[in-house]
Amino acid sequence: MLRTIKSKILFLAILMLTVLMFAFACYTVISRMKTKQLMVQNYGDSVNSFVRDLDEEVVKSEDNLKSLALTGELFYRTDRNYTLTNKVVQRIFENYPKTLGGGIWFNPYTIDKSKKRVCFYAYRNKNNKIILDNNFASENYDYPNQEWFKQISSKVTPERNIIWTKPYFENLGSYTTMVTAGTGIYADGKLIGIATVDWEIDTLIKEVSEMQPFEKTFSMYKNGAKIKSSFALLGNKEYDYVIASNDPYLDNKKIVGSSFKEIPWYNDKLYGITYIKYHGKKYVPFYRKLRNGMILVICVPKWEMFKDINNFYWHMLLVLLTIGFIIPTFLYYSLNKYLIKPIDKLTEIAHKIGKGEDVKIKIENPEEFVHLASTFDKMTKDIKLITQERAKINSELSIAQSIQSSSLPNEFPPFPDRKEFDIYASMEPAKEVGGDFYDFFFINKNKFMFLIADVSGKGVPAALFMMTIKTLINNISQMNYSPKQLIKIINNKICQTNKQGFFVTVLIGITDIDTGKTSIINCGHNLPLIKKQNETYEYMQLESNIALGVFEDSEFEIYETVMQPGDIIYTYTDGVTEATNINNEIYGDTRLHNCLNSINSTEPKEIAQQVKQSIKEYINSNFQSDDITMLIFKYNGTLNNIKTFKQVADLKNYKQFYNWLHDICKEWCINDDLKNKLDMCAEEIYANITFYAYPEKSGMIEAILTKFKDKITFEFIDSGIVYNPIEKPNPNIDLPPEERPLGGLGIYMVKEMADSIFYKREDNKNILTLIFKI
Amino acid sequence: MDITFKNINLETLYVKTDGRLDLDNAVEYGTKIKDFIEDSDDDIINLILDFSEITFISSFGLKIILELYKLLKTKNGTLKLKNVSEQIMNSFRMVGFDKFLVFE
Repeated sequence: MLRTIKSKILFLAILMLTVLMFAFACYTVISRMKTKQLMVQNYGDSVNSFVRDLDEEVVKSEDNLKSLALTGELFYRTDRNYTLTNKVVQRIFENYPKTLGGGIWFNPYTIDKSKKRVCFYAYRNKNNKIILDNNFASENYDYPNQEWFKQISSKVTPERNIIWTKPYFENLGSYTTMVTAGTGIYADGKLIGIATVDWEIDTLIKEVSEMQPFEKTFSMYKNGAKIKSSFALLGNKEYDYVIASNDPYLDNKKIVGSSFKEIPWYNDKLYGITYIKYHGKKYVPFYRKLRNGMILVICVPKWEMFKDINNFYWHMLLVLLTIGFIIPTFLYYSLNKYLIKPIDKLTEIAHKIGKGEDVKIKIENPEEFVHLASTFDKMTKDIKLITQERAKINSELSIAQSIQSSSLPNEFPPFPDRKEFDIYASMEPAKEVGGDFYDFFFINKNKFMFLIADVSGKGVPAALFMMTIKTLINNISQMNYSPKQLIKIINNKICQTNKQGFFVTVLIGITDIDTGKTSIINCGHNLPLIKKQNETYEYMQLESNIALGVFEDSEFEIYETVMQPGDIIYTYTDGVTEATNINNEIYGDTRLHNCLNSINSTEPKEIAQQVKQSIKEYINSNFQSDDITMLIFKYNGTLNNIKTFKQVADLKNYKQFYNWLHDICKEWCINDDLKNKLDMCAEEIYANITFYAYPEKSGMIEAILTKFKDKITFEFIDSGIVYNPIEKPNPNIDLPPEERPLGGLGIYMVKEMADSIFYKREDNKNILTLIFKI
Repeated sequence: MDITFKNINLETLYVKTDGRLDLDNAVEYGTKIKDFIEDSDDDIINLILDFSEITFISSFGLKIILELYKLLKTKNGTLKLKNVSEQIMNSFRMVGFDKFLVFE
């Protein structure tokens, strides 16, 4: 999770954005709340101002009433001038444009005992003209019996209080729903009539409900008719009647004049309430009390009131979300383009460079990556240069190594025609050029010299020194000195040429191949092992001399021995015994001794390979720290003791073969019994090879007859199909002759006659060895 | 190789040869004897093989001897070996032929 820069930065960006958006959302919610409060307050203010206006009208109406009452009183007390009074009433109404109408109504028979009704009434017609109307005094209307008259008359007091009637429908002049305010006219403490002012409710309520919270008017629909979405209620709570209502869900005409109980949403605790729920919608109520005791409630739909602000915030949220989406996208894109892609590109290029491809880095921006790329480019060039230099040094070193290796004799057998001895040597160089070497050569016709040496130090200087020593020893050895003289001269020469303080440990063997007489000189070198015929390998107990190149004119002890045919000398350098495994433990003398004794073969090459294998298994995964060098010398005896026969395996050559065998038997003075055995075995094996080894094409048969001391070894070699005669079961010689098969006798006889018999398959060859005791 | 055949009587044949009975000529030796017996007008059932001049016998020679023995056995005849040297005798012993061959 979040392993990459990309995901990390993206995560941070989203986190920051989330926090930011959360903060903003909090701010928004709070500000929305505040704004709403403010809006409610604002609207409340405008309602207040409307109520104030209404109150003013009420005051004016009451003033009006008082003027009318005074006029009535004056009429009563003076000469009762009807014309003047009519004029006054008309004038009063002109001064109060809001009122619909009104007048002075005397109690029956108060003015004139003969006249039941005396009144002065004026109203505003549709053209806003004041009309004096005397029809109200007629018998048709009979105002003293009208409800409003009774209401007002019964409630007025001499303190000139104002009485408001219930709304009623006026069906004489204006034909509208009206509410009337009235006050009593008193003369000498006696009620003589009343003065009234009429308010047209429809207009009022219209005005109220048109008061919208915003300039823009909202509408809603009910029964297909467009109605105002906010509605109002005007009423008198004290006397519990509704004056006006434009509730969209009620029959307002019926409601007018009835109790507040008819208003479903109304309750006495409306004041200060945030909203009411009415017909599934929320309304904000504005409750106000007028001076005359009336109450006005305006219900504004909440959804409309806050529609704009809600819309505004919804839009804001949408914008925020969009930004919240766009910013990470943009960030992702930018990161990808300016950070990730260049990194990917550099990674890819680094990969290519690692593979050795020649890549030029091309990054144009951003600046940091251009810089990085150029640094990268320079680094690549530097690496290339360093690598080339190193390769050069390495190749020079490996050339030095191969020169060193190739300066050592490495063709085996080195003298194929000399059967008197076998020699095998090998050097496995360590990584560095080392100072091990070996050499062998004839120093005269019958003296063969072999040596193994280890020059102190490593690397090219040691290798150069080694080459010098090798040439020097070779040259001096050819001069026919005695071993004692020879080694002394060599040492002196090395001392003289060696200015760098090198020295060399060396083991030299000089063998007279005719006699087996061998001189061994050990100059500070590892003790060799010798295997005498039929014995095990043992360390030779040699007197150790000082290494060559240390002291001039040193004297050296020479060890003399006579090698018997079959004797093997194993020499090596400290790279063998000091090979270390991963636990830093050395291979050691004992392990070498045991290893050699576990090897069955007497072939120098085979011995070397098996020891090398053993060391390789020992050091296992550890690296080889030193050259591993060994030289194995096996003395076979003089030429006279080894006879070889090699011919095409064919029946016609058989005579030649047994003649060769008979000649040898004669030469070696072999008795008839052994001769007979050899003869029989030879014939059997010759026949076997001739008949069976080469089923497709003819091949060779090789026989080697060797005489060592009291033994004769008869070796048969063919490169035919794999065949091990030893594995063949023996025939049952106790069977009666009739049941005996004709074949199978030969191999049985061979096995019976030979003292020991061995078979091995090597280099695609069958090698059968028979050993006979003389 | 030279082989001397001599009829002792109507049923018995004397055979003598010299040299080696080996890979080179054992087969020839056997074939010649068998041919002689077949070609002869007499009904030969007994053989006397003179080994006095034979210096060496190999497994091939032994094989021929066994073959001849089996041949005569079917005819209810006998095989006799004469003048067998100690060396050759050793070879017969080694393969157990001394148990059924008759030596004189």
